[in-house]
Formats: sequence, C-alpha cells, structure tokens
Amino acid sequence: MSTVPAKRKPSDYKSELKPIWCPGCGDFGVLASLYRAFAELDLDPANTVVVSGIGCSSRLPGFVSTYGFHSLHGRPLPVAMGVKLANPDLNVIAVGGDGDGFAIGAGHFPHAARRNVDITYLVMDNEIYGLTKGQVSPTSLTDQKAPSTPWGNLETPLNTLAFAVASGASFVARGASFNTKALTELIVQAMEHKGFSYIDALSPCVMFNNHQEEWKELVTDVAPDHDVADKTAAFDLALKGGFKMGILYREQRATINEKYAALVEAAKDSDLETMLEAFNARKGAAIGKPTV
Amino acid sequence: MARKSVVIRLAGESGEGVISSGDILTQAAARGGYWTQTFRTYPAEIKGGPCMYQVRMGEERIYSHGKDVDLLVCFNQEAWDLHWDSLGPDGVILFDETAVDIPEEYAARARPVRMEKLAKEIGGSLRAKNMVAVGAVAGVISFNTTPIEELVLRRYAHKQGVADANIAALRAGGDESADLRGSLAITDPVEVEADRILMSGNQAIAVGAIAAGVKYFAGYPITPASDILEWLSAKLPQVGGITIQCEDEIASISSVLGASYAGVKSMTATSGPGLSLMTEMLGYAGTAEIPCVVIDAQRGGPSTGLPTKTEQSDLQHALYGGHGEAPRVVIAPITVEDCFWATIDAFNYSERYQVPVILLTDQGLATRMEVIHKPDTDLIELWDRRTSAGLDREYKRYELTEDSISPMGIPGEEGGQYVSTGIEHDELGHPAYTPENHVAMQTKRWAKLEPLKNGIVRHEHYGEEQPEIAIIGFGSTYGAVREAIDLARAEGASVGAFYPRVLGPFPGEQVTAFAAKARRVVVPEVNFTGQLARLVRGECGIPVESHAKCDGLPFTAEDVLDVIMERIPS
Ligand SMILES: Cc1ncc(C[n+]2csc(CCOP(=O)(O)OP(=O)(O)O)c2C)c(N)n1
Ligand code: SF4
Repeated sequence: MSTVPAKRKPSDYKSELKPIWCPGCGDFGVLASLYRAFAELDLDPANTVVVSGIGCSSRLPGFVSTYGFHSLHGRPLPVAMGVKLANPDLNVIAVGGDGDGFAIGAGHFPHAARRNVDITYLVMDNEIYGLTKGQVSPTSLTDQKAPSTPWGNLETPLNTLAFAVASGASFVARGASFNTKALTELIVQAMEHKGFSYIDALSPCVMFNNHQEEWKELVTDVAPDHDVADKTAAFDLALKGGFKMGILYREQRATINEKYAALVEAAKDSDLETMLEAFNARKGAAIGKPTV
Repeated sequence: MARKSVVIRLAGESGEGVISSGDILTQAAARGGYWTQTFRTYPAEIKGGPCMYQVRMGEERIYSHGKDVDLLVCFNQEAWDLHWDSLGPDGVILFDETAVDIPEEYAARARPVRMEKLAKEIGGSLRAKNMVAVGAVAGVISFNTTPIEELVLRRYAHKQGVADANIAALRAGGDESADLRGSLAITDPVEVEADRILMSGNQAIAVGAIAAGVKYFAGYPITPASDILEWLSAKLPQVGGITIQCEDEIASISSVLGASYAGVKSMTATSGPGLSLMTEMLGYAGTAEIPCVVIDAQRGGPSTGLPTKTEQSDLQHALYGGHGEAPRVVIAPITVEDCFWATIDAFNYSERYQVPVILLTDQGLATRMEVIHKPDTDLIELWDRRTSAGLDREYKRYELTEDSISPMGIPGEEGGQYVSTGIEHDELGHPAYTPENHVAMQTKRWAKLEPLKNGIVRHEHYGEEQPEIAIIGFGSTYGAVREAIDLARAEGASVGAFYPRVLGPFPGEQVTAFAAKARRVVVPEVNFTGQLARLVRGECGIPVESHAKCDGLPFTAEDVLDVIMERIPS
C-alpha cells in the first residue's frame, strides 16, 4: 500500500536562528506568512532559495531553513536573477526593505520587472530605514520628521505599485504583515505565477515608524470585480489614496527564463574544438609553403 | 636580402578602410603562414578621427608590435603628419596621390598610389580603396596575393561581381607599386604548421572561458572589454550557457555571484570604471567564499580617462580595492595565447579556493591580433569546487578544515542548506561577531590561498636566470621585454625577466630569489605611479627602479632595450 507523504508544516521551514527583530516588528508577520505559504506550496527546502539585501527585513533568510543568500544592500534582484537563470528548477524568492529595494536598489527593479525574471519579490515596506535607525526612505511620507529630516521630509514618496506596473512586472500585489492570512495567499499566488511577481507588504517598524494603527484604517481590499488584466485599472488602484490590498495586476507573458531555455535549446550545437577551429589562421587555405 | 619581419602601418581617417585593410592583411599573412601581431590606435569618437592599424608579420614568432615602421601607408594628409616620424631609416611610403603631399626629402622612398581613382574606376566604388592599398602593400613586401584573393572569394562567395571587382582592385594596387616591388621583401615562412590560430586577447579569454566550462556570463558594455560580452552572447548558448547584458556592472557581478552560488561557473568582464562599481560585491564574494571570474581589460585612467588607450593602472585596485581585507586572486596573462590558459587558471583557482579571481589584461593585449599556436586542448585540466554532496559528517558551510577550504552547498543538493552572507559568520554561516570567530574566519579565508604562492602557479622566466639586470613585469609588457632581452643579450648584456602570472597573493619569495644576484632591478610598467615597483618593494624588500610610463601606448622592444642599455654597468 502506498502512502501519501505528509505535507510539510510551516514550522518545517523554521531555521535554528531566532529572529532578531524588535518585539512587535511587522517583519514577524511577513515571516509567518512566508512559512505558511511555503508549507502550502510544500516547497522542498533543498530546492528553494531566499535572497535578500541588507536591512532589518533582509535578515529574513537566516530564519528560514531553505538555502539563503543574504547579499548586499540593494542587490537582491540581480542576485536572484543569477540564481534562477543558473538553475531554473529552483524556487527563488527575493525579500528586503523599501530602502533596500527602492533607494540603493532602485536601478535593478525595473529591469527585473521588464525582463520578467521568474522570481517573487517581497518588499517589507515600513516607509523607513529600520536598521540604520529611522532615517526616511523613498516611501516615507512628505513632511515626515526623522533624524535625517529634522525639518520634515521634502520629498514625495515613491508609489512602488505604480512603479511596478509601469516597469512591466507581470504580477503586482499588496499585502500587510497584520493580515497574515491574506499575505500568505498572495505569496502562494506570486510563487505560482510564472514571471516577475512583486508584493508590497506593509510591515510597520515599531521602533521608528509605527503606523500600524493608521495603516489599518487606510487599507481596503481590491474590489472583487477588478480586472487584474487591465493595466489602466491597475494604475488607477495604485494611484488612489489609501492602500488597495490584493492583486492589482497580473499578466501571463513569457519569462526570460523560458526565452533563454528556448534560445539555448535552439543554439546548442557546438563545442570547444569547433570554436577554436573557427579561428584557425589557415582555415580553408591551401596548406603548404606559399609561392611567390 | 629579404627581411625576417616587416612592420606595416596603415593610417587614415576612421571609416576610410584603414581597419579593413589591416584586417585583410593580417588574415592573409596568417593564412600565408606568417606569424603576426597587430596594434591599433583609434579615436574615442564614434565616427571620424584619425586611426592607425599596424601589422607586424614575419617568419618567426612575433612577440611585440614593432617600433620602426618599414612601410607607411597614408590614406590622407593627417596620416602623414601624425606618423611620418615613426618611419624607420629605410622606411617606404605609399600614399594616396590625390590626398597627400610628401616633403621633398622623402620623395625618393615614397610612391603615390591612385587609391581613390582606381577604386572608383576598377572597383566601381570608393569601398575598394582598401583593396588597392592592400595590393600595393603586397607588392612592396613581395607577399603572394593568393591568400588575399582566397579571402576575398570567401567573403563575397555569393557576390561574384563584388569579388571580381575587389580582386581587380587588389591587382591594380600591386601594379601601382610595381617599381618598388620587393624593396621590403620578407623571407618566406619556413615551417608552416596547420594548427595556428589568429585571435585577439579578448577572443582568447572568451574561448578560454568556454574551455573552462563557463555557463553564465553577465556584463555591461565598456571599451575595451565589450567584445567578450559580444562574442560570448553569440557563442555561449551554443555550448548550453547563458549570456546576459545587465543594467550595470553592479547587477552583472551580483548576478554572476547568484549563478555561481547556484552551482555554475560564472564570469563577467569589464574595464576600470566597471571594476570600481563591482568592488563592494567582490568583497562579498571573498567573505562569502563564492567563486567567480572578473576580467578587467584595463584602459587609460583615471576616471573615464583614455577609453581607447592602454594602461596598467588598475593593479592596485584589483589587488586591494574594497573595504575590510577580503581575499581575492589577481592574475595577469602575458600574451594572447596566455589569455586562453590564464582564463582557465582563473576558473580553476576560483573554483578550488572559492574566491573571486580578477584577470588583468589591458587595451593593448585585449584588442591586438596575434597568430598563436592552437591550444592543445588535451592539456586542459579543470578543477571543481568542493561541495557538500556525499558528506558523512554534519554539514557546516564555513567549516574550518585543514586546508581552510569548506564544502559548498549547492541549491538542489539535499542537506546542504545554508545562508550565504557577507556578515561575519561562524562555521555554520550564522552571524557571529566574537573576536575569536572573526580572527579564525579571516585566517581561514587568507590561509586557503597559500598554495597559490607556493608552487602551483606558472611563472614566466625569460633570459638569464640570475641576471645582472633583472626585469620584473606583469601582463602585456612581456612581449616587448622578451624581444628587448634578445637584443640586449646579443650585445652581451646579462639580463633576464621574471613575470609572475599570479600577482595576488604575490610570489614574493620567487621574485626575491630571481633578483638576488642582480645589480639592478628594473620594473617597466604602463602607469604613472609605478604600482608594480611599489608592490615588489613592499613584498620583497628589495630596491627596485621603476620605469613607468603612461602615454597610452604599449612598450616597444626598443623602449625596453633603451631602459636596459642605460643600466649596463660600465
Ligand atoms: C552600500 C551601503 N550603504 C549603506 C548601508 C547601510 N544600511 C544598512 S540597512 C540600510 C537601510 C535599510 O532600510 P530598509 O531597506 O528600508 O530596511 P529595513 O531595515 O527598514 O527593514 C542602510 C542604509 C549599507 N549596508 N550598505
Ligand atoms: S528597527 Fe524597526 S524594522 Fe528593524 S526590527 Fe525593529 S521594528 Fe523591525
């Protein structure tokens, strides 16, 4: 009699390290959602890679029992791309903070999106720099006072969802650490999505930017009849005030991984000897001493 | 008497056919069984500006591009103005009769060629100008035009009319220089092997990477490294690999580390400004112990500097650039042939020691064409990284082993899970900041490179082993130094050169031993501050004389000969 192997449990994805986050940090909710999503997808820990940059939130891979790549500030996306292109069979998820992803790392975001690299990017958006102790981030509100903006923030926050849609991300969604059920579901869908999936997860920094209560007031779900294939409608939702929760945009288009796989399949027909022979100085020449 | 080698310099405006003439001549010479080396200068502008293509060809292996020009071909007046003083004492001049005025005193050795006129009359378009020029050159050096005609026929295999016109232009060019025919005749190649190849340094690196098993290349265009990106974009998929043009150098190196972490051999190629951007990630690779190969085709600096000129000024950046003492290996290949082998070495060291390897070439070496021996692929030996597969003990990513090399878990491998991190970590890879742990890990990361100092590395020795005048150099200056040593020894000088392939970790003991009996130690290099000289002083504690120059041009053998002869003890 064959037995169905038991599905993995969320706790199976816990590493031996205890999260070092401040008690109450939103990142705990994101981590819990990630464990649950991984369990729901029954991901093989040996076949899964969590990539991050630098920041409080980027410590996350350390708390997961899969493979992990805690890279440099702002670099999770190109690292994750390299991992996924090198081995398309791996489940690859990049995680990090809003500062990591949209300040120092902003140059990489539109390119990962337009390439449609088959990875999920989960940003723990606390609208602040946590690890460096509370300076403003690209998503901080105008007029916000912080150690680096004692006179108030002069800048306009970046609308990361609109940016994602504009950049060509093929899956754009928003969740929140304080609604782990919905966030778990979004992570599951994002990981199942073939292509670049972006999730902005509101994740309050209780130390430096505790907006959890205000945010709870501002969240509303995307209407059930919202057409996720409609880019203009997605922009509308992204640009509306408040936080629209759920999937704003989804499109199915070929991933760069699939394109490369097809390219390599079509091109593969050579070897080192043939390549060296192409440089042969006497290729096709009548061999022998030339006559003058 | 026929000469063993000639130096031909073609000069004109870029877009006039100078480069294509040089290319055809080089390829034909190679087909005809000659050894060649080329050298070119070109403007940084996209279109227009003076450009020059120098071909040195001869019956014996050629190591440098040559100094005195035997045959100068001027496509326009500026070409004459810029290059007349490179002419050797018996140098011959060919020039387009409509475009150039040659001063009276040179008239006797100058021959007008109706380049434009014949091109239009016979070739049917100005495009054939290059063939007229090549024909005229072939006549003067008594070079059999068969290989050239073969090349033309191959290139225009489907356009008989164009092929015919080009061949007619070629022959007409030969008639133009009939009265100088054979005045610079070169001796026929003696031994003509079938297995010689003609390639540039960049191409040798790209093919070397394929030989080493590269499966992921990411890069961002920059002169003079872009050919590697371009060539691999065409070829890597043919052997099952991927090439990607990233949004910048930071993404390139980051993705290379991601790919290497995932288990495939990975590489990027850049020049100085790009290397600067990669520095932070190189430190990460050193700390997290991820193999990767970075090609730095150096160009003139500082800053965006002289993008189309050569310099060896990234040495210190390659060795030390970055914060916090992360280990890396720096290799400098010395010839085009060596670019192939050094790239394989780079992958081997990188994989075995789980360390980033920077391969330092420069504009001169990267872009010059050389006829070389076809690499014997049976001699290729590939080293692989140590992985966690099949371990019969508890898996620790950064285990302190006897040789300080730890098993690397490869995603997909059961039981090898770990988190790669640039944060100081313990054997398990967990963040750990204790003084003991940091000392242990720094020690491990540097100790594993010890074998690279002691023996496994190829060095190049030329000339006397214990010379009175010892030359220590690196990279592309080797060819000129080698020829200079031949010339100096012919005059009775006791001179020899030592070229370490691996500069970091520096083989201080070998260099010191080599220079032990020397009366003078000279370090020629193409930069302003004498970076290698300082390195030798620091690592070996011996007095050395720096001979650094930074005019954007490679050394000639004659330059180096002067340096040697000035120092002959009297
Ligand atoms: C090149 C570089 N610059 C600056 C830093 C310092 N730094 C570390 S984390 C961080 C900001 C992190 O903010 P965010 O990404 O929003 O993450 P959070 O800590 O809020 O989760 C900065 C500026 C760094 N590590 N590297
Ligand atoms: S500082 Fe803020 S973001 Fe960092 S762990 Fe504490 S609460 Fe979380």
